[in-house]
Amino acid sequence: MPARILIVEDNQANLHLMTYLLQAFGHSTTSVMDGLAGVAAIKAGSFDLVLTDVRMPGIDGYEMARRVKTDPATQKLRLIAVTAAAMVGDREHALAAGFDGYISKPIVPQRFVAEVDEYLPAALRSNTKGEGRES
Amino acid sequence: MTPLRAQVLDESVVAVLDSAPDAMLMVDRGGLIVLVNAQAERIFGYRRDELLGQKVETLVPQRFDDKHQAHRTGFFGDPHPRPMGTGLELYGVRKDGSEFPVEVSLSPIETADGTIVSTAIRDITDRKRVEHALQQKNVELERANLAKDTFLASMSHELRSPLNAIIGFTGTLLMKLPGPLSAEQERQLRTIDSSAQHLLSLISDILDLAKIESGKVELDLQPVVLRDVIAEVASSLRSQAEAKGLQLSARLPEVITPIVTDRRAVRQILINLTNNAIKFTQKGSVGLALAERRVNGSLLVDLSVSDTGVGIKKEDQARLFQVFEQVDPSSTRRFGGVGLGLYLSLKLALLLGGQIHFTSEFGKGSRFVLTITGKR
Repeated sequence: MPARILIVEDNQANLHLMTYLLQAFGHSTTSVMDGLAGVAAIKAGSFDLVLTDVRMPGIDGYEMARRVKTDPATQKLRLIAVTAAAMVGDREHALAAGFDGYISKPIVPQRFVAEVDEYLPAALRSNTKGEGRES
Repeated sequence: MTPLRAQVLDESVVAVLDSAPDAMLMVDRGGLIVLVNAQAERIFGYRRDELLGQKVETLVPQRFDDKHQAHRTGFFGDPHPRPMGTGLELYGVRKDGSEFPVEVSLSPIETADGTIVSTAIRDITDRKRVEHALQQKNVELERANLAKDTFLASMSHELRSPLNAIIGFTGTLLMKLPGPLSAEQERQLRTIDSSAQHLLSLISDILDLAKIESGKVELDLQPVVLRDVIAEVASSLRSQAEAKGLQLSARLPEVITPIVTDRRAVRQILINLTNNAIKFTQKGSVGLALAERRVNGSLLVDLSVSDTGVGIKKEDQARLFQVFEQVDPSSTRRFGGVGLGLYLSLKLALLLGGQIHFTSEFGKGSRFVLTITGKR
């Protein structure tokens, strides 16, 4: 069974890449391009996982995490920050802000879906060892 | 009262005073001007006879009047040669009321009538203007430098985003997710991928250099197990070496005592040196090694990268570390890339309190050594 994944990302090309990869491995995705829309989508929909950029217009990823994690209705949702590895301390900052995990940017296509799967319960993981992977 | 010049100065002394480049006044204990030279007439715009017998405060802006009188009394209380108002901005006032910046030195002269003060006054309008212009220039330069740093940082981000999209989608194509590839399509996509990766590393190098040059690099000093760093670099570059038919080996000692240094910087230097070794070696091997030695009681650690490559001619060795300089201009096409990595490595090594040395024999190979002090 595929997972329902919300992607919050303001860069069109990155959004396309993540959406394409996740869908190629069988997940279903919804995408929004800023933090406020992210919070609204989380309240309205039901997702298994949220992948979000950290630096965004409007409210940033940290603020988004705070809002989602302080609302009893949404606080159990798994929230993963996708952010530049170059920023020292970002990982700690992300975890302190309430994120459940961290994936570094730029994403590596050959690894990305497997990284996302690690944050999903076994039943919702894609078959990343299956077809289409580069040898 | 009689002007001093009539009493104590003969004509030749007056001529000397008149030819002096500075304005000169002599002032008695009561603050009255008793001598005026030609330059003083010029810079203050008064005729000599208009000043003789006048209070010296005539030549001082009104707002300094009280202070000036107090200082004058003070001077006569402790007369010795000195500059006036050290560290203060001093001004004179002309007959027409306009002010100008001055520098004043004072010295007491003993005469039959008691102590008088000899004053040399220099109009420093021009100097002030130059100083001001220089200050302005400095402010502008600082601003321009800051703008350059900001520009580089934001450009590097701007350049990276589209490049990451190129690398990302080249990756999905190479994974054959959208569909199968012909052998030639795959070969071309691999060229796109390696070129884009190369461009990305150049952009990172440029940003790193800009950071180092503007003093913005903060070292993260931690105990680092150097043999692990070398092993990591060797394993990440091995496939690249083997693709050229080169053997990449790492000779590592058993000692694993950590050294306090910046892991990221050491790793980056080793990657640069090893990349270069692979790039400039057509056949044979590239070897990484770690060795410790003691010099005058202090521990030094040598991280070396040796190759059996083209080597560097004697005459080219001196300018090896200069930016954008590749030893043989014609080799640029053959080996690709600019000489940014080596320069960046040296800068990083110096930042770590270390050095990079090399020995090379043209046609036989090179050995680059990063030496850092072994603080534990």
